[in-house]
Amino acid sequence: MFTTPRLILIALGAALNCAIGTVVYLLKLPVFLDSIGTILVALLLAPDRLAAFLCSWAAGWIGLALSGLVNPFLPWFAITDVAISLIAALLCVAAAKTFRDRPLNSPPFIGQVALCGIVIGVVSAVISVPVVVYLFGGVTGSGSALVVAVFLKAGQHLMSAAMLSGLASDPPDKILQVLFAALLYRATPAEFIAMLRAREPEPTR
Amino acid sequence: MTPNGAFTLGFILIALGMAVPGPRGEAVLLVLTLAFAAIEVRGASLIALRRAAVVVLPLAAFMGVVWVGIVGESPYQIAAESAGTRAAALAYVATLCGRLFFIVAVIQLVFLRFAKLTPLQIIRALALPATVKRVLVITLSLIGTLRHAIDRAHIALIAAGTLTRSPSLRNIIHSWRLIQAVWLSAITIMVGRMRDKWPVENTIARLDDTLANANPAWFSGDDRIWLPLSLGAAVVILVADRIGGAL
Repeated sequence: MFTTPRLILIALGAALNCAIGTVVYLLKLPVFLDSIGTILVALLLAPDRLAAFLCSWAAGWIGLALSGLVNPFLPWFAITDVAISLIAALLCVAAAKTFRDRPLNSPPFIGQVALCGIVIGVVSAVISVPVVVYLFGGVTGSGSALVVAVFLKAGQHLMSAAMLSGLASDPPDKILQVLFAALLYRATPAEFIAMLRAREPEPTR
Repeated sequence: MTPNGAFTLGFILIALGMAVPGPRGEAVLLVLTLAFAAIEVRGASLIALRRAAVVVLPLAAFMGVVWVGIVGESPYQIAAESAGTRAAALAYVATLCGRLFFIVAVIQLVFLRFAKLTPLQIIRALALPATVKRVLVITLSLIGTLRHAIDRAHIALIAAGTLTRSPSLRNIIHSWRLIQAVWLSAITIMVGRMRDKWPVENTIARLDDTLANANPAWFSGDDRIWLPLSLGAAVVILVADRIGGAL
């Protein structure tokens, strides 16, 4: 299951999550972009859904641990990362062939990106809301906190403001993330993908 | 103290911090944390506090703008549908940021406890499955690789006229190309290592031997003092204010 190329992929996915997610967090943009590596790991391990789930989960959690040194809110959303890995393994993996088709077939590509992004976005919003509300009173350090504030100011209750903010910002954010992951997946050399799918030879001692 | 013991202690302290004990519980938690800092980390504790301040102060400013400036009331007032005040919002932001400061400081203290060890030595000492240790070592070794990949991709895109050295709109528009170039550069480097370099040098087998030879115990030495102490303190922290409230 965890061959050396897959371990390297996990580390690369974690680094991608950490690097882009941290830049977005520091800029306080109303998106997150902190799961591109998680989704990409699942795509690269298609069609093996179990490996895709376990490796993307590992990449997500290592990314959380690294990013947690800069963003102390992030580790509390570990369960959201598990859900993202699960949906990426179930849904995005099914779209892997479409994402890699050459030449690019635009309508199904756009449709699959939108479908995967919306499903991941809605699920992560629903899972994240209790953490946002009960642990942090509705506002975290990300740019989406501004959206919660706007809903609160408009007279919404805390729970509904956090839920509306999640549903407003998560699906567009996750569509962007799936799009970026799909584009990186298209650009990844076939040789690396073949290494990920091959069984590892026993090391000589 | 072993890294296992320090990480477990850090986890207990953070969990207690998030459990939101009352004032007495918080005082006991603070004393326990200060004792760990003074006895185990010593002078480097100031570095931990400075780093925690660097992480949390911008966050505090942002949350102040959101809660005090825009919302103007605390979440408790919103939940109770009572009249909100900016003072209550400020108190809420201060409390939350204080808790975050505590968490970041504890994480820094735990890492600074082993400042004299290399990352590889810390990973060797951890009682973890070999695969987890391997992925941790590879992740750390990839940090250097990614730095090289970023440098190469950045310079290549500047030379091609796609990016500029100074901040510009063009950099924002083409930042995606930098990410793609870094990804491809990192993949190419890793494929080269896995296909050519590592098999010749037998790197993975040597790494496994290095990590497996340590055979670390879960807890030893001062862990046997700190962990029972922290668990005992945890009970006190969790019940101190309830007993006080009942009286």
